[in-house]
Amino acid sequence: MTEFVQRFVNGLSIGSVYAIFALGYTLVFSILGIINFAHGAIFTCGAYFTYMLTGATFGANGIFAKTHLPIVLPLAVATIVGAILAGLLGVLIERLAFRPLRRRNSDRLLALVSSLGVATLLVNFIQYLVGAENYSYKTRLTGDLPIAVNLGSEASPIPIRTIQILIFAVAGVILIALTFLINFTKFGKALRAVAEDATTASLLGISTDRFIWLTFFLSGFLGGLAGTLVGSSVSIAGPYFGIAFGLKGLAVIVLGGLGDIPGAVVGGLVLGLAEAFVPADQSAFKDAVAFALLFIVLLIRPQGLLGRVQVQKV
Amino acid sequence: MADFFTSNSGVIVSMVLAAILGLSVYLPLMAGQLSLASPGFYALGGYTAAVLSTRVFPHEGGQIAFGYIVLEMLAAGVLSGILAIIVGIPALRLRGIYLALATIAFVEVLRVLSLNLTITGGAIGIFKIPQPFNSQHQLPYLLFAVPMLAIAMLFVARLERCRIGRAFTAIREDELAADAMGIQPTYHKVLAFTMGAILAGTVGAVSAHVLNTWNARQGTFDASIAFLAFVLIGGSRTFLGPVFGGLVLTMLPEVLRAVGNIGGLPKPVTTFLKDGRFIIFGLLLVIGTIFFPQGLITPELVGRLRGRTPPTPPAPTADPLPAAVR
Repeated sequence: MTEFVQRFVNGLSIGSVYAIFALGYTLVFSILGIINFAHGAIFTCGAYFTYMLTGATFGANGIFAKTHLPIVLPLAVATIVGAILAGLLGVLIERLAFRPLRRRNSDRLLALVSSLGVATLLVNFIQYLVGAENYSYKTRLTGDLPIAVNLGSEASPIPIRTIQILIFAVAGVILIALTFLINFTKFGKALRAVAEDATTASLLGISTDRFIWLTFFLSGFLGGLAGTLVGSSVSIAGPYFGIAFGLKGLAVIVLGGLGDIPGAVVGGLVLGLAEAFVPADQSAFKDAVAFALLFIVLLIRPQGLLGRVQVQKV
Repeated sequence: MADFFTSNSGVIVSMVLAAILGLSVYLPLMAGQLSLASPGFYALGGYTAAVLSTRVFPHEGGQIAFGYIVLEMLAAGVLSGILAIIVGIPALRLRGIYLALATIAFVEVLRVLSLNLTITGGAIGIFKIPQPFNSQHQLPYLLFAVPMLAIAMLFVARLERCRIGRAFTAIREDELAADAMGIQPTYHKVLAFTMGAILAGTVGAVSAHVLNTWNARQGTFDASIAFLAFVLIGGSRTFLGPVFGGLVLTMLPEVLRAVGNIGGLPKPVTTFLKDGRFIIFGLLLVIGTIFFPQGLITPELVGRLRGRTPPTPPAPTADPLPAAVR
């Protein structure tokens, strides 16, 4: 029972991070119909931005070895600023790698290739600047709270790490805020209009370009935030950890159905729980769960768990 | 001069092999399908050769007979082909980017499996793979690599001019229209994907011997990017493109490394020249898709070099892969 509850909470916690991360993919896909492979690299950047903003020192390798910023922000503030920087990076990527292709009305596969290029460029550039070491945040995101809380009784304790609960709470707040933003505000309505049909939306007076860059900002913000959350729960495992996470995020959005916003949330939670319940002696295969799920979904329900079959028209 | 070839023998052999790997990505692209699976099949082929030559086939003192390697290449090709059909059918029934996603998943699953199975030697991998040649350098491997490249190029060149190749092009240009014309999209897409896989698997079998050791680092996401760069930078509209891309982009890091070793340059520059391979690949992919969407070697360029225009110049579409996704 103890183990079950622990696994369940851990699954929900990592699953909710998968969800906010995958929402970043989905938002861009629903507007532009492309997958931004650089999203995983933005995730890495978010975690590194936060690390940098807390005034922490980088390791022994890379160009910026053993240097640190002169400012020291508390981790909670750095997390938000880091996510905003990641959002701006998303906008920059849109300007440099996607907009020129969109202007020429290029094929969407080319945008995918371009974003793969950006992803490779970014993570290797980070490695060039600060090396490939593992980093951990100096302070805990949970501050002075105890490391673990007991969800069971005195007699049968069920310790859960506070950070897991915090992550679930943060992700939950973000998800509720996004749902509100998309479904109940004028901004959300315009966003959905652009997603439905960009040309018609622009005829109705919606500035498509502005919504595209706002979407990329939001997407980058979510990706960067997810990076810091995972970094503070485990550690920043070198520049490539975002690529690995990004590939899992792809499994999440296929699971939920491409471009399906509630689907991304469900997909994230399903993947988180599925990974959490991999038996301990098989844990080496945990990283394969996401991709096995992706294959199964492609075979049985290519439209995703919640999706509807779309008919292709000429 | 001979010195130059022997001391750079590893690079020369990998250049030729990379050209074949470029072709293995080009084949599915002929049918408009972006596949990132080549490193997976390459890794599979390598493991096939490594396991067969260390455990099954007779070898003595690190030497193995020439013929066994050909057998390994056959086995690697057959295995890759079968796996490609299994992976390809579910992914290729669907239109759009599903193949790219499924092949990324495929490469990752293979990587996790090869890290954890005993037959693949876990994280350490398989080493001391016996050699077919008694030589200090790797130049004799060109006996495998060059004929393979020649056959692959001839095959793809002929393919582009026959019924199946034209069906691929039709699907690339407009899958719905091709379907309406009686071309079976799924069949042809799986065929193109499988041919690419067989090619990558066979190269893997040779590579395992060239490198002498094989582990899970051979088939990674990075390799997917590198192979993709071979095609997209080299050119995705004629088979000469990926060959050119594979040769040049494999040589490029070595040239940069040599420049970095000259000395007298500031440290950030030398570090960049030595380790910046993937920064450059990434940058080339972005710049390439924006400014040279057809790659450096285009059919028009080939036609001009031959001193004649192509018989029916194809409508100048801006992209190598139009209408595959809509």
